[in-house]
Amino acid sequence: MSTLTLRAAPPERLDFLNINPLALSRLSQAEAERLAVGTTRTGVRLGDCFSVALDGSDTLTIEGGHERLDRVGAALSEGAIRVAGDVGQRLGAGMAGGSLTVTGHAGPYAGAGATGGLITIDGDAGDHAGGAVYAAKAGLDGATLIIRGTAGAHLGDRMRRGILLAGRAGAYAGSRMIAGTLAALAVGDQPGYGMRRGTLLLGSHGRLSPTFVETGTHDLVFLKLLSKSLAGLSAEHAALLNRPLRRYSGDLATIAKGEIWVAS
Amino acid sequence: MAAWVKGGATDAGTAIGAAVSLLAKARAPVIAGLSADVAAIRAAYDLAGRIGASIDTAGAVGTYAELGALSRVGAITSTPAEAVGRADAVLVIGAAPWRTPLLQRLSETKPTRGRTSGSDRALLALGAGADSSKATFSHPAEDGLAEAVADLRAYGKGHLAGDTPQAKLVAHLTAAQYGVLLYDPAELGELGVEMLQGFAMELNETTRCFTLAMSGADQDRAVVPVAAWLTGQAPRSGFGRRVPEHDPWRFDVARQVAAGEVDAVIWLAALPVDRPDWLAAVPSVALVAEAKASLADVVIAVGRPGRDLGGVLWNEQRAALTYWPASAPTDLPSAASVLGSLRDRLAEGRAASRSEPAC
Repeated sequence: MSTLTLRAAPPERLDFLNINPLALSRLSQAEAERLAVGTTRTGVRLGDCFSVALDGSDTLTIEGGHERLDRVGAALSEGAIRVAGDVGQRLGAGMAGGSLTVTGHAGPYAGAGATGGLITIDGDAGDHAGGAVYAAKAGLDGATLIIRGTAGAHLGDRMRRGILLAGRAGAYAGSRMIAGTLAALAVGDQPGYGMRRGTLLLGSHGRLSPTFVETGTHDLVFLKLLSKSLAGLSAEHAALLNRPLRRYSGDLATIAKGEIWVAS
Repeated sequence: MAAWVKGGATDAGTAIGAAVSLLAKARAPVIAGLSADVAAIRAAYDLAGRIGASIDTAGAVGTYAELGALSRVGAITSTPAEAVGRADAVLVIGAAPWRTPLLQRLSETKPTRGRTSGSDRALLALGAGADSSKATFSHPAEDGLAEAVADLRAYGKGHLAGDTPQAKLVAHLTAAQYGVLLYDPAELGELGVEMLQGFAMELNETTRCFTLAMSGADQDRAVVPVAAWLTGQAPRSGFGRRVPEHDPWRFDVARQVAAGEVDAVIWLAALPVDRPDWLAAVPSVALVAEAKASLADVVIAVGRPGRDLGGVLWNEQRAALTYWPASAPTDLPSAASVLGSLRDRLAEGRAASRSEPAC
């Protein structure tokens, strides 16, 4: 297991796009320490802020995170990264495979455009978790994103595929959703604003837009399959499906093929 | 030339020297505001590229609400002159557009061009509050503007129906020959703008309807094309790694200052815009037309384009960049020339090395 240990708080935002087990396995320790990770004109190299210990394995541990570590695990395709601490924006953005675990909090845009793999955030996530970055065609796009704590606003904005679980979330959860499944124990106002397709499973929610219409209670085989699929990721979320569920259809402002299931 | 360093009046050379020493040692400088003519905006990007600064604008909230929606669904737009000349129905969304001169013109005139020539103009209001007294039909938006627009669009699509105010508003717009949806992007937000563009596109299946965004006092409408032709990106770009990187979250200067990531700011406001609160929290150089000693650590008075000197500015009326000659010429320097002096003086100094250990 390769390890990076944070020695001092970074003086600027760092870009970890190129720091992953596969890339590090091909480098000597001195080469890894010289990797440029800074984002300002002064610049920072990996060895400036981190103690580096490499063993060529497919697992990387970052001991001591910081909210200035951007794009940790971005574009990860294989292997595992574990961060003991916080991370900044775009955690696992564009990730295609492997696993990514953060024990602390994540900044905004976690899992943006991620097409595969598993991202787990033990703490909270910022706004737009599983959401699309500026001008991107989709947010979460096939990966699995689990947020144990509270997510900010716009959770799963323009999400296109995959599963997104969150403890609590702010306003506009599942906004402009294209497809996929988003489950949360509680969300704020206006869930599903502008959603086209996709499934929201909610324990409770704030104000719901008048462009969602209740379509009654249903006993669908799909819900049993969803429960089975969620059970392996989070028992709490799977348990929502054991409660009576009301179904809302919307957003009627769009093609209205989305659905919100609310546990009562 | 009026200039101040730490509140004390001084000459231009001393002020530029103080600004250079502030910028030379900065790790992550920012050039913010960019409320200026095209020459100054170009000079700002040139300087930013050379010193590794990032850029943010005074009206970025509205600009990114517009650009975010534009990049995803496109836009169907008109100009103020077309709206005044042709619109027989104007839906004013929110309160902000009611306070613009355009609304005054729309309410005092009738269409004069095209098929609508001579007909009456209906002013409709959505979520305007007390500002909507001139409207012929008004509907409040208690749950928020973006939600009200979504509701309207659902009626437009026929997914919702009934004898409701929303249905009446949609009927007005569908019956109009040239409808205009007037909004302020900063007030409506990105989600709302995207929803409104979708609504306009669907109305165009049966009649003509266009959106028209009101911009603020800032020059963001000029910055967007200049940034595009200089960097290929939208305004919020950073040059810390030599190439322009566009990141609207990372280069939001208010966020950067709050997070302690910025150590020097150039506030460029050759045309007056509100001074942001965060400016007091960071070492700053202000290039402003209405100069006051207390505005920043280093303040240099520059000429206001269109008054003290000529310059190319956004022309709201014509929806284009146009040249404005000086109406009362003075000998104040242009913002572009001051930024050019800063660039030349910084180039003389030692370039920051990327190989120095940072922590």
